[in-house]
Amino acid sequence: MEQPLLNRSEIVVLQPSSLKESLKLLNENPDAEIIANASDLWPRIRNGEVKPKKLLDISGLAGELSYVKKDGNLIKIGALVTVSQLEGESILKEKRFSGFKDVIAKFGSPQIRNVATIGGNVCAASSSEDFIPLLLAFNAKVKLSSVDGERYINLEKFIIGKRKINRRPNEILTEISFEDPGEGYSSAFEKIGRRNTLIINIVNMAVVGKVKDGKIEDVRIAANRIKGKIPERAKNTEEFLKGKALNEETIAGAKKVLSEEVSLTDDFRASAEYRKALLLAMLERLLFKLRGEQ
Amino acid sequence: MAQMLVKLNVNGIEREVLVDPDDRLLDVLRDEFGYKSVKEGCGRGDCGLCTVLMDGKPVLSCIIPAFQAKNHKITTLEGLNNDPLMKKIQEQFRAHQAAQCGFCTPAMEIIGWHLLSRKKEASKQEIKEAISGTLCRCTGYYDIIDAIYDAGRPE
Repeated sequence: MEQPLLNRSEIVVLQPSSLKESLKLLNENPDAEIIANASDLWPRIRNGEVKPKKLLDISGLAGELSYVKKDGNLIKIGALVTVSQLEGESILKEKRFSGFKDVIAKFGSPQIRNVATIGGNVCAASSSEDFIPLLLAFNAKVKLSSVDGERYINLEKFIIGKRKINRRPNEILTEISFEDPGEGYSSAFEKIGRRNTLIINIVNMAVVGKVKDGKIEDVRIAANRIKGKIPERAKNTEEFLKGKALNEETIAGAKKVLSEEVSLTDDFRASAEYRKALLLAMLERLLFKLRGEQ
Repeated sequence: MAQMLVKLNVNGIEREVLVDPDDRLLDVLRDEFGYKSVKEGCGRGDCGLCTVLMDGKPVLSCIIPAFQAKNHKITTLEGLNNDPLMKKIQEQFRAHQAAQCGFCTPAMEIIGWHLLSRKKEASKQEIKEAISGTLCRCTGYYDIIDAIYDAGRPE
């Protein structure tokens, strides 16, 4: 299939081999689009949706930014960690991180998991980015590095719209971190699409929480399109659930709060009404998962 | 910027090739190296037919910029032609008549090889998961799954 001809062959490609060099190059070329393994941006460049003049290829920094580690009480994930690499990480195999396993199992396809990075997934800030709800539910922060230094902002403040992120032109997202919630917590994620692999979700939802002796001690919920087109926390529903016994009455009440909190829209994937029915069913299922039921 | 000189390692052969910044690994493998087993289906990462191995892992050559393939080892089906496990997989594809139009066959065989080389007696569920991102337009999945399954079993 011949693609439409653009001036794509004029793109200037910058290929630094260290973070320091990358930050300097980006500072000099703030109009450059950053690519890691390019699995999201490349098809959009090829079809003409994005027309960059310059590309900053940071895949050469894999040695510096491909770590998953526990530092004090923080779990730190380097921006260039691929989805397949996350799958093998022993830290994330603990029960409280089982939401990661849920995201990975339905992420893209096996081939895409071998190249897609967690930093790229967050920066793409599109509705297909299933890590975002989970990371929101973990209260994650992103680290932005530039020649001026580093700054940390909450993921919630970083994602500001569909494909819009709060990144200054000379900054690179270098790390995602969140506090280890500790023993007793668990997490889960669900995604519904028209098939299991290679599909953009109709809805998705992630929960992180702690249920002790049948009572919800803490809970954080995030889903796509709570109030618009981007993944957000369902804070009213969280407040309603906190401190209550996890039973059918509470779940019925939480569904009511959630249905008032969301403002879903129709699109070619599904109607708002169908989306709402799915979200409410997901909430119930995920809350039962917190209690340790399947 | 005009063309870029990139050193690629494909099927054990190192070669410097001139690529445009917008060339895909797929284009270089087919047009420069002549490896026609690498097929273009959708061209946007949805169908899996352009699957090759990069450092031993299946990836989609249609969404990998050619200039990013430097410093990696690329393997196409042609590079596995003399491999005993690949021979076995291909025998089973013939025995099960698992190629209908044949367009997805190279990708399916590479993915089968990758799975069986890590886990000889893969279960049908594991095979289904491995090929879940690779589409067969003839929808002959059962024969493909059976062929990979039997290739992993003792004769």
